[in-house]
Amino acid sequence: MTPFLSGFMITLLFVGGVYFVAVLERCSMTGNVSWSGPARSFLLLFAQEEIKTRKHDKVFFETAPVLFIGVILLTISILPFGRGSVIIDLGTGALFINAALVYIMVSLLMAGWAVNGVYAMVGGWRALAQLIAYSMPVVMALTATVMRAESMFLTDIVESQQSLWNILYQPVGFILFYISALAIAFLPPFDLPVAEGELAGGVWADLTGARKLLFRLGRLALVLTLSVAVVVLYLGGWMGPWLPGFVWTFLKTLLVAASFFAVGHFMPRIRHDHLLEYNWKYGVPLALYNIFQVGVVLLL
Amino acid sequence: MTPILQYLLLFGMLIATAGFVWMLYLIKQSLGKTLEEPGKDIPAESGNLVPKPAWLRYHVRYYGYALLFLAFDMEMAYMYPWAVVYQEVGLLALLDMGVFLMILFLGLVYTWTQLGLKRQ
Repeated sequence: MTPFLSGFMITLLFVGGVYFVAVLERCSMTGNVSWSGPARSFLLLFAQEEIKTRKHDKVFFETAPVLFIGVILLTISILPFGRGSVIIDLGTGALFINAALVYIMVSLLMAGWAVNGVYAMVGGWRALAQLIAYSMPVVMALTATVMRAESMFLTDIVESQQSLWNILYQPVGFILFYISALAIAFLPPFDLPVAEGELAGGVWADLTGARKLLFRLGRLALVLTLSVAVVVLYLGGWMGPWLPGFVWTFLKTLLVAASFFAVGHFMPRIRHDHLLEYNWKYGVPLALYNIFQVGVVLLL
Repeated sequence: MTPILQYLLLFGMLIATAGFVWMLYLIKQSLGKTLEEPGKDIPAESGNLVPKPAWLRYHVRYYGYALLFLAFDMEMAYMYPWAVVYQEVGLLALLDMGVFLMILFLGLVYTWTQLGLKRQ
C-alpha cells in the first residue's frame, strides 16, 4: 500500500473510531445506542459560553488542553494499523507510548491548577497519585513484550506474535496493561481526577466551551489510542484470517474499547489510597513476576 | 524514513495540533462574547464564595509512594535496552537483571514492613 493511501486509511479509521468510541461511551452511561448523540453533545459544547474563572493561571489555562490532545495524537501516529501501514515507525516505539502518555497526567495537573478552584486542584493532585500508581505495572508489562520481540519497533512486536498472541504468552502482563490502560484513560473505575459524584467534575468542573470540548474529544481519542495499543501489544495487531489487516485492527480495537466501557459500567469507583496500595503491593510484584516468567520461557 | 525526519514529523504534529486548537478558539470567539454577569467567574465550590486562591500548600499524602516511584522509574530506564538484547545475551542477562531487580524488590518489601505503603 502506498504511504499516501495508508495515511488516508489511518486518518479515516481514527476519525471513525473516535465516533464509535463516543457512541459506546454514551451507551455505557445511558444504556441505549444513539448515533446522533455524540454530534449533539459536540454542538452543545461548541455553542457553550466561554467562562474563565477569576485569577486563573493564563499560561496553564491555554496550554493544558493543547498538551492533552497533542500527546494523544503523537501516540496514535506511531501505532501500526496494518502491515506497513503506520505513519511513523519509530525505533523506540514501545518506550515512546509510555513517555508520551505520562503527559496526560501533566496536562490534567496543569488544568487542575489553572482554574484556581478547590475541586479542580484536588482532581489534579489525584491525577498525579494515579500516575504513581499505574506507571510501574504499565512500564514493566511493556518491557516484557519488548523482550519477546527483541525490538522496540511496534511493527516487530506485532510480528513476534505470529505463532502465539501475547495475551496467551504473557497473560499476567495483559491483565496489568489492561487495568493500567483504564487508569491512564481515567475511565470509570479509576475516574478519580474527574469524579462526578465526589468532586463535581474535578479537573473539568470549571471548564466550559472549547476547552471542555478539547478535553472530552481528547479523552475519546485516548480511549481509542489505548485500545489500539492493547491490540498491537497483546492481541496480535493486524493478524487474522480472510479479512485485510485494517479491518482486523478496527474490529479488535472496537471490541477492546467496548470492554473498557463495560468494566466501568459494572464497577464502583476505587478510592485513591486503595489504588496506590493495591498497585504497589500486588501490581508491582506481579509485573516483576511477569518479566521473570517471560525471561525463563524465552530461554527454554 | 530517517529518525531525524521522524522526530521532525512528530514535532510538526504538535505544531499542527496547536494550530487546530487556535482555529477552534477563533471560531468560538466569532460566535459571540461571554455575557458579563455577577458571580459568573467564581470557581465551583458548592455555593461557598471562598475568596482565597486554591494554590495552597497541600499535604500530598502519597509522598512515600512518590519516593519509591522515583527509585523504580530510574531502574526502568535500564530495563529497555536490556530487554532488546535479552535473547542474545541469554542466561547471563537473566541473572544480571535478576540480582538488580531482587535488590529493588527487597527495597519494596522493606518499605512495606515499615508501613510505608499506606496513606500517610
